[in-house]
Amino acid sequence: MAKYLLRRLLISMLTILVLITAVWILVRFLPGDPFTSDKLSPEIKENMMRYYGFDKPLTTQYITYLKNLLHGDLGYSLNYKNLTVARILKDSFPYSADLGVRALLFAISTGLFLGIVAALNRSRFLDYFCIIIAIIGCSVPDFIIGSLLQYVFGVKLKLLPVAQWQGFKYTILPSIALGFYTLAYVSRVMRASMLEVVSQDYIKTASSKGLSDVQVVFKHQIRNAILPVITVLGPIVAAILTGTFVIESIYTIPGMGKYYVSGVQTLDYTLILGSTIFYGVLLVIANTMVDMAYGIIDPRIRVYKK
Amino acid sequence: MKKNTVLGMLLVVIMILSLVGCGGGNQAPADNAAQEDATPSEKVLTYSVLTDMPTLDQSLVNSVASMTLTSQIQEGLVRLHDGKVIPGIAKEWEVSEDGLVYIFHLRDAKWSDGVNVTAYDFEYAIKRLVDPATASPYSFIAEPVKNAMKVNSGELGIEETGVKALDEKTLEITLEIPAPYFLGMLNMPHFYGVRKDLVEKYGQDFAADPDKNVYCGPFVLEEWKHEDRLILVKNQNFWDKDKVNLDKVNVIVVPDPNTALSMFENGDLDFVDVPPNLVEQYMDKAQLYYDGADDFLKLNMDGKNPLKNKNLRLAVNYSIDREDYINITTNGLYDAGTRYVLPVVAGVDKKYGEEYPYEAFPLKADVNTAKEYLDKAVAELGVSSPQDIKLELLTTDTDNSRIQAEVLQDQIQRNLDIIVNIKQVPYKQRLQMETNHEFQMVFSGWAPDYDDPHTYLCLWTTNSPYNQISYSSDKYDELMDFSSTCRDPRERMDALFEAEKVLLEDGAVVPLQMRRVAWLMDPKVKGLVKSYVGPREDYIYADIQE
Repeated sequence: MAKYLLRRLLISMLTILVLITAVWILVRFLPGDPFTSDKLSPEIKENMMRYYGFDKPLTTQYITYLKNLLHGDLGYSLNYKNLTVARILKDSFPYSADLGVRALLFAISTGLFLGIVAALNRSRFLDYFCIIIAIIGCSVPDFIIGSLLQYVFGVKLKLLPVAQWQGFKYTILPSIALGFYTLAYVSRVMRASMLEVVSQDYIKTASSKGLSDVQVVFKHQIRNAILPVITVLGPIVAAILTGTFVIESIYTIPGMGKYYVSGVQTLDYTLILGSTIFYGVLLVIANTMVDMAYGIIDPRIRVYKK
Repeated sequence: MKKNTVLGMLLVVIMILSLVGCGGGNQAPADNAAQEDATPSEKVLTYSVLTDMPTLDQSLVNSVASMTLTSQIQEGLVRLHDGKVIPGIAKEWEVSEDGLVYIFHLRDAKWSDGVNVTAYDFEYAIKRLVDPATASPYSFIAEPVKNAMKVNSGELGIEETGVKALDEKTLEITLEIPAPYFLGMLNMPHFYGVRKDLVEKYGQDFAADPDKNVYCGPFVLEEWKHEDRLILVKNQNFWDKDKVNLDKVNVIVVPDPNTALSMFENGDLDFVDVPPNLVEQYMDKAQLYYDGADDFLKLNMDGKNPLKNKNLRLAVNYSIDREDYINITTNGLYDAGTRYVLPVVAGVDKKYGEEYPYEAFPLKADVNTAKEYLDKAVAELGVSSPQDIKLELLTTDTDNSRIQAEVLQDQIQRNLDIIVNIKQVPYKQRLQMETNHEFQMVFSGWAPDYDDPHTYLCLWTTNSPYNQISYSSDKYDELMDFSSTCRDPRERMDALFEAEKVLLEDGAVVPLQMRRVAWLMDPKVKGLVKSYVGPREDYIYADIQE
């Protein structure tokens, strides 16, 4: 187990290093530069390049960046001049994570429920009902769902707040909007997986052993069917936790989603790198946890050697 | 099966209840929810901004949002309020005969930490602004100050900057040219005092948080949750605090203009800008203000560019139907640009547009005149027909820009028969291409730094770093030089007007629009001012009257 984890850790670090290098090089290929603005003059630009060390050779800059990274120093944002990238991420991530966790709880619980119900009531009304919800969730973009919910429940019916993040009732609409796609996706995967599992021999065995329907469903069916769902959840969790630009924008939530977009627009090299590394690390952790979860849920799939 | 469904539902209910349970615990900080906290007698103003301020360091501010907010929490030597220059930290001042030396006499004033505001704070601030080591993106604003630009480029040492504190309460500023607009420029945050001890203490973290700076303006920055909100409270140490009516100001960051509008209609905001696409619905309730931005096409006269030909440039200018363009792209919200300088900037006694009315190009397209110029251009360029002329229109990659470009393309192609191709690139890339002169026509614009036509006209002198179209006119340079040194305000303004005419008669740019914004305000708010120069919204003397 320990050897497995260690190997996993080394491979992950290598992956992150490759990620950093690739992004570091790629941002410098983006046309334009961080300092160009309407009112920039050549002297000012020179001053700014020198201030941030961009007048040094590229290899020196790269090595300096890595050296600082080892100390946990992600540098100062080029756009938010007095804020360190670490500070920006630290301030905004809790909001994204909070929103993400709520959205995921909503999406996973409801998605699983719908998937199970659909599979157990195959080709009957409940099944079609769940399928329709799934199709809507997968096809309608999140900004439409987000804006609609905001308009209907916030502006027209005045049941819930329109925007911001200041208490439980503020979290309801954004969580639903953000979770809707995942809900749909999870329910489809769960339904398909349940239907596949139900035709397996061990289900017949369990049934013929005399286990009640409830016991069959809960002890065997769900547990086996949930594996594909866990597979897809890894990347989904990482994506949702790092915030989504759209939902956070519509509902005015100060999360980190916007930095992925605004960082590129303003060519804020340090912020782009910092937020990418953050996402990368999160993704690696999420995938590792998915693999570990496999091992727990299905003893057949122990991906490490004993 | 039924039992399963029931149990399944039970499971979900439990999960949802857990979601509810979470609500109590780990929610984001919910303090200072604006209206609910205000005591009944407290006057609180709440409004929103589209983006958070990237910085509130006086020397580094680079955006309208940053500059606007800084002017509400800090005070310069003078203040520009509602178009007038009023005394700030400086209670009076003298200008020398030749207009080059200003002596400011400071009043007694304190920073929010009780320390006195001194002339040394201002001397330090201006030197810090032009110091190349500070790398301020706005150091160019100090251009009128003696040696400022040479210091900024490293040619001279920082002690050579034309600013000196004669004693604690007296500041002397020496200028390169007797610029009459200089006094108004001192309203820019870059000229506000800065506390040297705090900069040295916090280094690059200076002003990153409310406790890392001090304030001498009408309000103090009490709280700053980045990308979320700022909270200002009345500064009890402000020298003019009796004129300040508001107790508290909440500034909420709302990136989506439609969300902001919804919040206003819900009563959560006290004033809001109407998103351009919804303006028609609010025309009867909204007020309009110029935001100072002036958009135009830059025509590149480099090398082999067809637009090097003056007749072609004039043909393009006359082929545009500005009225249609404005109606199609902005539903009549913006003002059509039939001249270059924003007419509402200050003239000598009245507005520049009132003293010097001018229509360089007609509101409707003048196809006949356009064709006359085109024929001459075709002959001079040595092509056989207009269709041999291909022009590329460079613009940003937003939807709005695309619509603007398509309207112009359609008008030019239809009226002149030449070919126009549109190229859309991200904003930063467009700026870089402009700097490198890599365009033929580019959709560009300019916003004023001070209340004088010079801010728009200074771009087109032969040596201006912002002259990216290689426009060079001896007459223009002469007029601009004359205006820089002329002491008589009327003669100076006449010269600036002549320069504007020369620029447009040469067809150097294609004026398109002067931007206006529609905004709504809760009637209980009084004394709030919107301006095209200086702070976008100015509420230092605003009041709430229920």
